[in-house]
Parts: sequence; structure tokens; C-alpha cells
Amino acid sequence: MSHDSIDAQSTTTQLGQNLQNSPFSSLRLTQNFGETLGVKKVLTTVPVGRPSKDRFFRTHPSPSWVFPGWILENKASGETYLVSAEVASALGDQVRPVELHAAIDRQNNPFLIPIPLPGPNGVRNRWHESLAQAVERAKSVWLRISANKDLGGYDIYEATAKLPDPVWPDITLDDLLDVAFKGRIITSLDHPIVQERLGKI
Amino acid sequence: MNQLSDFTDGVFLIDFEFRPENGREGNTPEPVCLVAKDFLSGVTSRYWKDDIHSRSSAPFSVGREALCVAYFASAEMDCFLKLGWQLPENVLDLFVEFRCLTNGTTPPNGAGLLGALLYFGLPTITAQQKDTMRDLVLRGGPWTGQERQDILEYCETDVTSLEQLLPAMLPTLDLPRALMRGRYMKAVSRMQATGTPIDTETLREIESHWDHVQDALIAEIDANYGVYDGRSFRTKNWADYLQKEGVAWPRLASGALELTDDTFKQMARIHPKVAPIRELRSALSEMRLSNITVGDDGRNRCLLSPFSSKTGRNQPSNSRFIFGPSVWLRGLIKPKEGFCLAYVDYSQQEFGIAAALSGDEKMMEAYRSGDPYLAFAVQAGAVPQGATKQSHKVEREQFKACVLAVQYGMGEISLAQRINQPVARARQLLTLHRQTYRTFWEWSDATQDEAILNGKLWTTFGWEIRVKGQVNARSLRNFPMQGNGAEMLRIACIFLTEAGIGVCAPVHDALLIELPMDELEGGLAKAQGLMRLASRAVLGDFELGSDAKVVCYPDRYMDERGQVMWDTVTKLICKIKGGNLRQQAAPPEAACRTRTFL
Repeated sequence: MSHDSIDAQSTTTQLGQNLQNSPFSSLRLTQNFGETLGVKKVLTTVPVGRPSKDRFFRTHPSPSWVFPGWILENKASGETYLVSAEVASALGDQVRPVELHAAIDRQNNPFLIPIPLPGPNGVRNRWHESLAQAVERAKSVWLRISANKDLGGYDIYEATAKLPDPVWPDITLDDLLDVAFKGRIITSLDHPIVQERLGKI
Repeated sequence: MNQLSDFTDGVFLIDFEFRPENGREGNTPEPVCLVAKDFLSGVTSRYWKDDIHSRSSAPFSVGREALCVAYFASAEMDCFLKLGWQLPENVLDLFVEFRCLTNGTTPPNGAGLLGALLYFGLPTITAQQKDTMRDLVLRGGPWTGQERQDILEYCETDVTSLEQLLPAMLPTLDLPRALMRGRYMKAVSRMQATGTPIDTETLREIESHWDHVQDALIAEIDANYGVYDGRSFRTKNWADYLQKEGVAWPRLASGALELTDDTFKQMARIHPKVAPIRELRSALSEMRLSNITVGDDGRNRCLLSPFSSKTGRNQPSNSRFIFGPSVWLRGLIKPKEGFCLAYVDYSQQEFGIAAALSGDEKMMEAYRSGDPYLAFAVQAGAVPQGATKQSHKVEREQFKACVLAVQYGMGEISLAQRINQPVARARQLLTLHRQTYRTFWEWSDATQDEAILNGKLWTTFGWEIRVKGQVNARSLRNFPMQGNGAEMLRIACIFLTEAGIGVCAPVHDALLIELPMDELEGGLAKAQGLMRLASRAVLGDFELGSDAKVVCYPDRYMDERGQVMWDTVTKLICKIKGGNLRQQAAPPEAACRTRTFL
């Protein structure tokens, strides 16, 4: 006896109704809960920085999801600022030219990885170079990175399991940057952080 | 049929008074009188016992163009069946609709007829009057002329109540779906009429020795624990035992030991040595043999209490229904000569419903694979393609526990206990479920939003739950699976009973059906086909399979979880009787054939 041996079309009730087309199908209500409510998750936090050593991540494969800019790091507060070209030129080597790469972890949390650009001689240090390699590989595979002080670079660990591709949030890179640097975009030399760095307090 | 005026042959408000035949619970009803009122013309007809027993059909139209209205209609349908009358084509049950209207809230005066009348501010007789008259009916005849008059008048007050209640409820009714629920009430009657065949000889044997069996059970099992004092479970003794054995037992916020059966069940998984004491507690606490209602014909019948739970499921009395008490007692279920019983349950029903209604393609693919637990492990990347139940047994068990944990709304700590693994592993499994079945989780989140923002949820056929006050997010998220599972089983009951298949009882997501031995193959195939159609009715194009466990006369039904206890009890009875009891133990496993159809 098998599933397919049932001749459902010939099955009728005492009332003579053919059950292949359920007598109830016209009464069926959809279960599209929340569809008319328009509830959606709001992105409120986008960290900026290197992923921790136990965090598997992927990076967005599209070049349009890479933002070149200058960042100013305040190590004391752990804050990172995005600064304009004008401000960057005033702050000199206190800011870093970076590429901000959109990344996402296994829990679907997006974040930005800054990769410092090569110096004037066109060379990156080994830490930055290995980070850039990891970000490039992460466009197609899930991986995590771990600092290897002996080698002076990051070890890369790829996930061996066949994991599904990430689902990127339905937003643009600009949206991501807005959340990541909310209240921390410096476009004026009058900004208190700039004033402080220039010793003008 | 969308409005009352569509019923051109009439709208009939009806009520029977009845008592169990021979006054014995478990027997089918013996109708005492009937009152019917034509809602549109206002004409009332009263029929005493002899008037109705002499008729071969109802004294009003029951065809496609007529509507029959009642309160708790399965009772009326029971009387129709007893009298051999054709059941009404269209049934509107105001009890069911009142339950649907108020589900999730607590009507101040309950969901009975009086409660519904008071809810709408309508006049009623007092509960005391109702009880007095009900007692008079249950007392049985002969009734004096005055008593007959009183009973008929009392019966008519219920019909008058319906006449007031119907217009009050009419604006709230979703008539097409209400008629569908009414159709289920007919199926309920057919199932209650069929009942579950019981091995009454063995039941009597156990009943007559139960006192001694209890003591013997305690003596035999508790010897290794020292927890019981007479027939009482002593918490202090249990605490001492746990300390001696070094077992860390869950505690309440107060610090007292958590002693629910669920806790014992969980802990028995982690520490198998506590399993026997759990079985013993369960057997002693839930065992009320004398309450199982068995009719003169040896069949267990009780009120199935349809639509009584929030999910719309039946809620029969735990002590009267053979599937209510400890599982080992199911060994009393035994097919009559020439018949087989099949316990047919939907395969992974909740998982299938969640997959189909959320539209999660991966989940649907996992269900269709036939082994959703292993498929989940493959989809999550935890085991390779081609993994089997045998090659990755441990992983499959853990992913299975994770699927069930999600269905029960279990957290990582409970899951860790269940799989006897660190919390980190449980957390990882739950995360994998979220990552693998994103569409399902989005839908589940939206379900909770809908309930909280709009204040209600509904099933595919309009069974509603209202959300008020304290919200239990876990229950809300689970409602679509439970509520639609209930819809599915109701439709299956309708299909099977209308197709003439003997359905003994609905049991959560399963049906116990009775088939003549020589029609087993065809009958079972037909039943499973109809159950698939019922799943399609609820899930659209998605179909759920079912598993069937078949037992034929002279073997008895047995739930494998109760086998050890059954064997122990029968052995003890034999010992008590000095070895004279004929061997009544369950048949060897080979006699219980298990078939799976997907």
C-alpha cells in the first residue's frame, strides 16, 4: 500500500460531495499575519570595526557596498567618527583613509569593517593586508579571523559546513552609514572633537 | 448560505431532553422529549418520548434548504442518531459560536446557555431551576403527568432561549464557517455513538484488584527509593534520595523541589534511574479506573467537549476518556471480534503546518523529505548530504529536540537539559533554526505582532482567539499551529464519519478508527486519503501524511510508553490471584503492525 494508491477523486462523502475539491476551499482564510500592519525591524545599531575572533561573517560582494572615507578613532571612548575631506586634511595623520566594507554575521547583524588604505609608498602593513584578504574571501565564504601576533597578521578560518548565503537587510549602504555614524559624522572644523585634537580647547 | 433568509424550508430551533440509556454513563442517550420551534413562523411543536420514538424521521425539514439551530448541538445529534433519523444538513450551534466569539476572554457566567444569555443581557431561568429539571430527567421514568408537563415546559424554555439568543448573536456570526463548525458537531455525535471498544473483562479484573495492585506497585518499585509512606509520596524522602544520589533537581523560586510530571519526565531523560518513580507517581495519581465510562456494549463513551480549549480542540474529561489517564491503561482498548483498530496520526503535524502556512520553502522541503529532523540538520550544514538516521543518529536526535523545542517555545536551558548537552550547544541549535528557517521566523514574529496590535488571531476557517491582558507570547506564536491542527482534525473527522468510517475517538492529532478485518486494507487507505485531503483543505496545496498503527482482534492496542507498566500490573494481579489469572499481557510487538504512509 502506498500514498499514491489512494484514488482521492473517487472519494465521496455520504452527502455526495467530491472531496478532491474540498467543499471548504472557498471558506479558507489566509494566515498572512502582520501583512497589513507593516511592522518591520528597524536597524538601530551598526558597529564599526574588526569582527571578534569567534564571529563568522560575510562581506557584501558588490563594489557599490564599499565606502572610501576617513575615520577618526577615539580610543579612549571607543568611538569612531567619519570625517569629511576638508576636516581630514586639517587633522593630518590623526585620521586614517579607509575602505568601509559592509559585512554581516550569522545572526544577521550588519556591521562595517574598515580596512586602512596602503600608505604613500603603496604598501600595507601585514595586519592590514591580511585583513583585506579576509574581507575579499568573505565575499564568497563564511569565515572568522584571529590575530596571530607571531606572524603579525590575521589567521583566517573558513566554515567547512555548507552554510546558506546571508540575507542582507533591505537597505542601502548610505542607510548603513547613517546608522553606523549617527551623531559621529564630522564635516566642520568647529566640531568639538576636531577642536580638541587641534589643541584649541 | 450566507443569511437566515436563504433557508427557504425553515429555520428550526430545537432541544432534546435525554438521559443515558439505562441511566448508565457510557451508554448512548435515550431521548425523553423534543421541542422544536420554527423561527420564522413562530410555531412551536412539543413531542414526548413515545411521539419521537415512533417516528422514522425528524418532524421538521432537515434538507439542504433548512437550518437546525441548537446549543451544544452534538447532544441533539446524539438523539437523532439514536432515533435513526437522518441528521440535519445544516446545523448552527450557538454554543460553538459563543465560544468562538469569546475565546481568549472569560465570560462572567461561563459558556453554558445561561452564560450566553446573560452575556447578551437576555432573561434566563435560574441555574437552580435548570439543575432541578435536569435531575428530574436523569432520574428516569416513569414520570407523572405533571412531571411530563414540567419537563416539556423546561425543554421549551431552552428553545425560547435560542429564539432570543439567535437574533442577539446574528450580527456576530460568520454563517458559512459557523455551518462548517456545525457540521463537525454532527461528526462528534457519530464518534460518540461509535465509542472505543474496551476489554471489559480485564478492566473489571484490574478494578477488583486495584487496591492491592497499588500497594504491590509501591512495594516493588519504591523498594529502591524509600520515598513512599503508605500510599503518599513524601517530598522530604525524595529530597533525601536526591541528595544521596547526587542528583541536582529543579526547584521553584521558593526553593521547594519542582514536582510536576513534566519535571519528572525531563529529569528521567537525564537520569534514567528516576524513571520508575515517575511511572509510579503517574500511575497512582492519574488512575481512577471507576471513572472511565463504559457502556453496556463495552464501549468507552464520554462527552468529547468539542471547541472547549482555546485552540478549538476537544477537551474530554481526563478521567472518563480512555485516552485521558496514564498511557498504560490504553492496553484496555481491544477490537471486537472480526474488527481491527487503527490509530492514525498526522506525521509531524505542527512542523508541516508551520512550514505551509509560513510559506517557508526550506521547511516545506524538509517536511517533504519524510524526515524533517535530519533534513534540518542537512540544511543547517551540520551533517553532509546523504546522511541517514543510522549514520548521524546523535545529530538527528539533537536537531529533532530543537524542532520540538521551537514548537513548545522552549528556551536554551530547557533544551540543553532535554538533550543532556551544554547550554552553548542548545543555543547553537536554536540559532541554526532561526538561520535556516528565516521565513518561518518572520511569519512567527508577525503573528505575535498581529495578536498584540490587532488583539486577535484566527485559523484558516475562522476559529478566533482574542488577546487581552497578560500576553503569553509563546502561546500566541504557537496558536496557528495548534488552532489549524485542530481545524485539520475536525475536517478529517467530518470526511471520515460522512464516508461511513467508524471513528472511535479523536486524540489530539490522531484518530482511532475501527474497520472490519476483511476491509482493513481498503478502509485504512481510504481513511488516510481523506486525512490528506483534510490537510489540503487547511494548508492549500500542501499535504500532510499520516502514520498508522494497526491492531486486530484478538490482540489489544498498546501505547509503547505504557507497555512496561501494563506488564507489571498484569504480573502483579496474577501474583495476587496466586497465578490463576489468564495471561492478559499485550501481544508481542510483531502483532502490532506499524505502517507509515507519507
